[in-house]
Amino acid sequence: MGYRKIKENNKTVWHYFKIYFLSLFLSLSVFAVGSFFKPQFSCANSATCKSDLLVNVDNNAVGVFQGRKVNPPKVDLAMVTAATSVLGVHVSNDKKHIYVDLSTQTLYAYEGNTQIMQALISSGKWGRTPTGNFNIWQKLPVTRMAGGSGADAYDLPNVQWVMYFHNDFGFHTAYWHNNFGYPMSHGCVNMRLVDARKLFAWADGPAGNQKGTAVSVCDQFKRPGTCVQNNPITPAP
Amino acid sequence: MVITRRQIELETFLLISIVVVGSLYFAIQKNNHQPQFSFASGISPVSAPAEIISPKITVAQQISPDGEKKVIMKVTENSDNTKTYDLSTADENGANEKFVFTKILDSSKNMSIPFNTWSPDDNYFFIQENAGENKSIFVFKATGESFSDTEKYFDAADIFTQKDTGNNFAEATGWASGTLIIINTTKPDDTKGFSYWFEVPSKAIIQLSTEF
Repeated sequence: MGYRKIKENNKTVWHYFKIYFLSLFLSLSVFAVGSFFKPQFSCANSATCKSDLLVNVDNNAVGVFQGRKVNPPKVDLAMVTAATSVLGVHVSNDKKHIYVDLSTQTLYAYEGNTQIMQALISSGKWGRTPTGNFNIWQKLPVTRMAGGSGADAYDLPNVQWVMYFHNDFGFHTAYWHNNFGYPMSHGCVNMRLVDARKLFAWADGPAGNQKGTAVSVCDQFKRPGTCVQNNPITPAP
Repeated sequence: MVITRRQIELETFLLISIVVVGSLYFAIQKNNHQPQFSFASGISPVSAPAEIISPKITVAQQISPDGEKKVIMKVTENSDNTKTYDLSTADENGANEKFVFTKILDSSKNMSIPFNTWSPDDNYFFIQENAGENKSIFVFKATGESFSDTEKYFDAADIFTQKDTGNNFAEATGWASGTLIIINTTKPDDTKGFSYWFEVPSKAIIQLSTEF
């Protein structure tokens, strides 16, 4: 009786070993295959990876924001790409600077010391908009944005005039609300479509060795050179 | 003493000159102090034509966030110290203008178009009437249509007050979605109260966990 019991126990141990190695093999296989077929785009939104860095138009999709369905505007990609500049496009990019004043929820665009645009924005309500000095690193005329979790989850197709300045924080339109002048975003800088379109046409993305238009997010701002930043983020070089 | 003819002529000339200059002096002095003549009869004094005072009109407008529509408020200053507010909507270029509303207010009240007046889908808009500390938020359909047979528009602030939430209406900041107006309140002790959503189709009030 005692011998048979030991034998059965040995069988059980070996069985667990087999299961363990089989699981290990399967995990490694899945990882290898997954790595080989990984998406060819960078991911702007680290939370869900639904916000890719591709131009994306979906005129049949329904968006979700704060647990409510949102009907995105229909976007004509041809018209979007043909959008022309309204502000001074010929000005050298080193003279262009965008300032965001979080205390007044206002955006300013400057060419040197000349202010050429002022608009109310909505910064982070459910996530902080980072303060610091950045440069626009990506411009997308239209894309899909998704992220958050639970009641704060959002999935928004056809978001237009997107300009990322720090990781997945950027300027873009917000067709799902009209509460500008008050924090209302998950960290991005929301703008009215009329304002975002103008800013997009004026600002520059990176080109060759040249960085994109400078962006300063300030806790308080009055004029160039007076940007107050508490605990600013230092972007990687 | 012999007086020559030339001396006589010179003295005569001087005398005449003095008389003429003196006469002119007195004539000018007299004219300067002459009372205004009134015509005795026949000709009435001609009065200046009555000035036609055209009413002062100012126009305010606010474009929708997508730039497609605008709400236009024409304010006419009337002679009795009141103002007439005419409200209409139109496309961004002014086409398809639709009359929505008119109201006459006395000088203690005024109306304004808030910056975030338009719902994000351009279906609704609201305007604000200020009467001292009291505010009214009139909600309209952008098409100018009525909400019901008897209701062209409604006052969201008044409906909020009637719900008796325990907080006082302070302001409507804008729209959280196509149908939700964001309302901020104050507590009875005047400190900041809860924020609410006012849902336009149902006129329901939803208290929020976050403040705007």
